[in-house]
Amino acid sequence: MATEEENNEFYLRYYVGHKGKFGHEFLEFEFRPDGKLRYANNSNYKNDTIIRKEVYLTPAVLRECRRIIAESEIMKEDDNNWPEPDRVGRQELEIVMGNEHISFTTSKIGSLVDVQSSADPEGLRIFYYLVQDLKCFVFSLISLHFKIKPI
Amino acid sequence: MQGGGAAEGEALDFEPEDDDLMDEDGAPDADASPPHPKLKSAITSGAAPSLSAPKKTKGRGFRQETDTNRNNRLSGSDFDSLTTEGGPGPQRSIEGWIILVTGVHEEAQEDDLQNAFGEYGEIKNLHLNLDRRTGFVKGYALIEYERAEEAKNAIENLNGSELLTQNIYVDWAFSSGPINESIRRKNARPTRDRRSRSPRRRY
Repeated sequence: MATEEENNEFYLRYYVGHKGKFGHEFLEFEFRPDGKLRYANNSNYKNDTIIRKEVYLTPAVLRECRRIIAESEIMKEDDNNWPEPDRVGRQELEIVMGNEHISFTTSKIGSLVDVQSSADPEGLRIFYYLVQDLKCFVFSLISLHFKIKPI
Repeated sequence: MQGGGAAEGEALDFEPEDDDLMDEDGAPDADASPPHPKLKSAITSGAAPSLSAPKKTKGRGFRQETDTNRNNRLSGSDFDSLTTEGGPGPQRSIEGWIILVTGVHEEAQEDDLQNAFGEYGEIKNLHLNLDRRTGFVKGYALIEYERAEEAKNAIENLNGSELLTQNIYVDWAFSSGPINESIRRKNARPTRDRRSRSPRRRY
């Protein structure tokens, strides 16, 4: 049992944001090894303020997150041919899984057109879809835990 | 760690590995690791980002200057959370209890889940997310029941059962406290509240 557990570390952080007229607008979330999920969404649009939520997830949820990442095979990719972050925006994806630690940064991706026309369409596509799947997962978790249903 | 734990006569697991419970908010420095004694095994503390086992690293994020704010955005203590009543274990969400179903068949529909899970209580919320690339079901679902007992029954009865020829696994989604090593070992013991471990035996 010990050998499998030795590589059991898991950490994930995703950030997407830009700085502009409405301040530093960003979305960021983090899955910590102890199960804590932290979520932050900031904008000064119409003088809005930052939203910060946190909740502890069960091991079952972390396991599912790991499965999503493993299935995407993002850990095999590399960002060295991905577009650099620019004025338009920035994305960061940092994952620790087992004995590997990736920390990718790239610009914002508007659509598949941006993916196709990049220098590493295959890798960037994996990133593109994984980010969407992770957002779906996190938004579901956060909204189910915190949001009240309207009547 | 700090020997705050009072001896309560509970049988504690003295596992022969390091188990540093992290600070509540985690040190924000990406690179600073608290000084660890030399570990026999590769198992490390769970604190992020102060992971201590050497890793294969990859990516521009390691080569770039860390934006001063990067380490601060998710640290600090002003994050909203729901207060926990009672001890460790599953946590109630804003209006009910949420369970996670995994192993869901890629062609499953909401109705399939409604039929299986509706038996244990009225489903207040159901999220069956799709894979953004393929359009098939991603593989998990989140279901909300109003009462803990309904959720508990669903878990007990449907965990490991079959749905559309595939085994599904059902468990609580949210917990009132952090995962510690004994939970990671996948046994059924409830989460303990941040109790610090006794110091490792020194041979």
